[in-house]
Amino acid sequence: MAAEHAAAVHDPNIGCTGLDHRKMGMWAFLGSECMFFGSLIGTYLAYKGKSINGPGPHEILNIPLTSVSAFVLLMSSLLMVLALAAVQRNDMKWGKIWLFMTAVLGAGFVGFQIYEFTHFVHSGLTLQTNLFGSTFFVLTGFHGAHVTGGVIWLLAMWVLAVRGKLGPQDSLKVEICGLYWHFVDIVWIVIFALIYLIP
Amino acid sequence: MATHAAYMAGTKMSAGSVIWSWITTVDHKRIGLLYGASAFFFFLVGGIEALIMRLQLAQPDNTLVSAQRFNELFTMHGTTMVFLAIMPMSAAFFNYLIPLMIGARDVAFPRLNALSYWVFFSGALLLHLSFVAGTVPDGGWFGYANLTSNQFSPTHSIDFWMLGLQVLGISSLMAGFNFIVTIINMRAPGMTLMRMPLFVWMSFVVQFLVVLAFPAITVALILLMFDRFFGTLFYAPAAGADPLLWQHLFWIFGHPEVYILILPAMGIVSEVLPTFSRKPLFGAPVVIYSGIMIGFLGFGVWSHHMFSVGMGPVADAAFSISTMLIAVPTGVKILNWIGTLWGGRIRFSTALYFSLGFIAMFTLGGLSGVMHASPPVDLQQTDSYFIVAHFHYVLFGGSIFGLFSGVYYWWPKMFGRLLDERLGMVHFWLMMIGFNVTFFPMHFLGLIGMPRRIYTYAPDLGWNFWNLVATIGAFVIVLSFLAFIWNVIKTTRSGARAPADPWDGRTLEWTIPSPPPVYNFAVEPTVHDRDDFWIQKYGDGHGTPPRKPVPPAHVDPASIHMPPPSYWPILLAAAFFVTASGALVSIYQVILGGFLTLYCMIRFMLEYHHQTDVGPAAGGHH
Amino acid sequence: MDSSHSAHAAATHDGGHASVQTYIRVAVVLAILTAIEIGALYVPGLPKHILVTLIIIFGSLKFALVVAFFMHLRYDNKLLTVLFVGPLIIATAIILVIMALFSAFLLLARG
Repeated sequence: MAAEHAAAVHDPNIGCTGLDHRKMGMWAFLGSECMFFGSLIGTYLAYKGKSINGPGPHEILNIPLTSVSAFVLLMSSLLMVLALAAVQRNDMKWGKIWLFMTAVLGAGFVGFQIYEFTHFVHSGLTLQTNLFGSTFFVLTGFHGAHVTGGVIWLLAMWVLAVRGKLGPQDSLKVEICGLYWHFVDIVWIVIFALIYLIP
Repeated sequence: MATHAAYMAGTKMSAGSVIWSWITTVDHKRIGLLYGASAFFFFLVGGIEALIMRLQLAQPDNTLVSAQRFNELFTMHGTTMVFLAIMPMSAAFFNYLIPLMIGARDVAFPRLNALSYWVFFSGALLLHLSFVAGTVPDGGWFGYANLTSNQFSPTHSIDFWMLGLQVLGISSLMAGFNFIVTIINMRAPGMTLMRMPLFVWMSFVVQFLVVLAFPAITVALILLMFDRFFGTLFYAPAAGADPLLWQHLFWIFGHPEVYILILPAMGIVSEVLPTFSRKPLFGAPVVIYSGIMIGFLGFGVWSHHMFSVGMGPVADAAFSISTMLIAVPTGVKILNWIGTLWGGRIRFSTALYFSLGFIAMFTLGGLSGVMHASPPVDLQQTDSYFIVAHFHYVLFGGSIFGLFSGVYYWWPKMFGRLLDERLGMVHFWLMMIGFNVTFFPMHFLGLIGMPRRIYTYAPDLGWNFWNLVATIGAFVIVLSFLAFIWNVIKTTRSGARAPADPWDGRTLEWTIPSPPPVYNFAVEPTVHDRDDFWIQKYGDGHGTPPRKPVPPAHVDPASIHMPPPSYWPILLAAAFFVTASGALVSIYQVILGGFLTLYCMIRFMLEYHHQTDVGPAAGGHH
Repeated sequence: MDSSHSAHAAATHDGGHASVQTYIRVAVVLAILTAIEIGALYVPGLPKHILVTLIIIFGSLKFALVVAFFMHLRYDNKLLTVLFVGPLIIATAIILVIMALFSAFLLLARG
């Protein structure tokens, strides 16, 4: 026990609270991101129902399709925790699989969004059409950009793992990637509810 | 590493390797000095912008500058002073002092720290490239929509402002995360949160304000950027949008921002007063809680900047009440500072004078602030020179005086030389007189009807005399700066050498040499109290006797491992600059910049992944 | 190597650990909640205020489940919870105040 404590104390990444600096930094960052998405969501809700011309959400949103993509993103969070658990127990075979699959599901979500955006543009809703167009595309677009960033991060970790350069000693890095990924998921839970579900 | 070792051994380095060592430094002390030098430079730039305005306004119907030029001057003066002078000067102190005051060897993420500085540098550069392009920002420092729309601001002037602020925001955010983790997680053994120095506490609150407020302006600027570049309708009244959205988002950032500007100075004053009173800060826990309250309440008062826009009685009343409430913890602090001086064995120094000046000037600024808290009163005062007087009293009389107090206090620690006290007194009195002669008359001008942001005025309005007085005061301020600059030049060559503890200080930074070695503490200190160093020297007067100073342990400096320098921070900042400035040039530059940024980010992270020694230095747990 | 790994693990996972089984159970609950939310949209004649309340409650539940279990906050040092929940509360309050200032509640109630 004392030896373990001494070993932890010598790890330069662990601070006086016993927590890792990088994990704490990521949680501080996620707190800040709450304000970022909060401002975008506030903007969306401030302008909801105030467009002076159509199309409006009820005319153009495809709830069934978006429900599938929301489900996909939700399940990707499960794969992410499975990836972390695998890396922690030094099961790099499954670590690689789950990391890659999380990225695939994330990319799938982004794919759905690209399809949705293209379809909307062809149906007459663009950034410039009305307040709904402006707020919808910017809010969901920035979320999608965050997901894309996460997919790149996941693939980078996967590449490192494939090259044998990621192991259980890097669990914390996978955990931090996971925190970011789950956050992007919970933001979508909120956005999905406010844009697609609430009339 | 070689340059690092050479620097440490004091051997002669070529100019090139000196510059390279500064470009690649990850040492918090050097980064602090970089911020300080930059802040001082931009303070002079902003000052010149102010002087030109004062010259123009010294007489009615003046033709020194055009209306357009005047708009550019007050826009750049405000933007420069807030983002490129006060904030980086505070950052200089955060960087230099926070690790020293908590007994750490560096911040939690040294390379991220360097990155914050270089991104700041590129943001300042981007903003000032507008002068080269001939399209200087002219929409005011808070850029109200929809004046900032393409329709009413067709040139790139607002684009420079918008992009420059975004880049600067990223810099501040990264530094915020760094200091939050540093303060929570890198304190020396025994330093509980309540034993932290007050400067660290106020800085801690500021970092939370930064990471929570900047996202709001980031969004406000993103919406503006989309309106200007992609034709969205966020601030387009014709499409049903409300330009007030900008005002709300901006001030949700802007009000916490003014606390970001003042709390560091309050922290400095809370260090200087006890040292020169030879007494602990009166009611230190209460001052800490007041700081936390101010930070928290600061998020609930923003619309007091909007009392004249027609929000309705409910909103006006709510924000009026919250604004009056926030005056309470601020007032409490002022009483605590006075309580610190009361009964103390005062030793006068320039640092103390500036802190005393802070208390007096900030109180005046706070009083006019409380007046603005009443919506009917504010309806007359808003957008008049009365407001200009208020915010200069709190930002110049407050922040700048407080920051100068810190400069004179910590200069010996940073540079190993004391600043000359007589020149310091000349600086102080010229600044005190000049400042009040400049800004006090603005209260009168505001109340007799002079609006802000006008480039000239008719001669028969009764405004001539006080405008002339204010301009004369501005030049007295210039003289005070010359005294300071002369002080720096003179003492750099032949100033008295500073010992480790020139002021008989109370906190940990005074226990190490002046200037400190690169690793700060040879052996990590253990702390038993607030003001632990003072108690170690003199006991606490309640039964704790002085402790014998621990003989310096024989630690071979070469065995203390500090994070090595890195060129990825400056490269990543440069790539980011290419991306941001690309928005003004062509989409291809943005795309190229984007790829460069991604590449540099990956290399930055891989440098960490592949080397185990690139992280923060071990806190000396041995 | 082993001792530093387990010490590292001990330092970062103070209060316990969720098992793979727990994760899967949470995922199932998330899926069910989502299904109910979407199903509720198609219930004919469901009063609007009930639908909105249900969506908000279920959304909050899903949010909390992901944060507590997948993001491990339930098992981690309370400090991390404070670091995240504090800003979350401020952000939520600001959203609500913006909605009030832009008469969004009035519009929602009317429509």
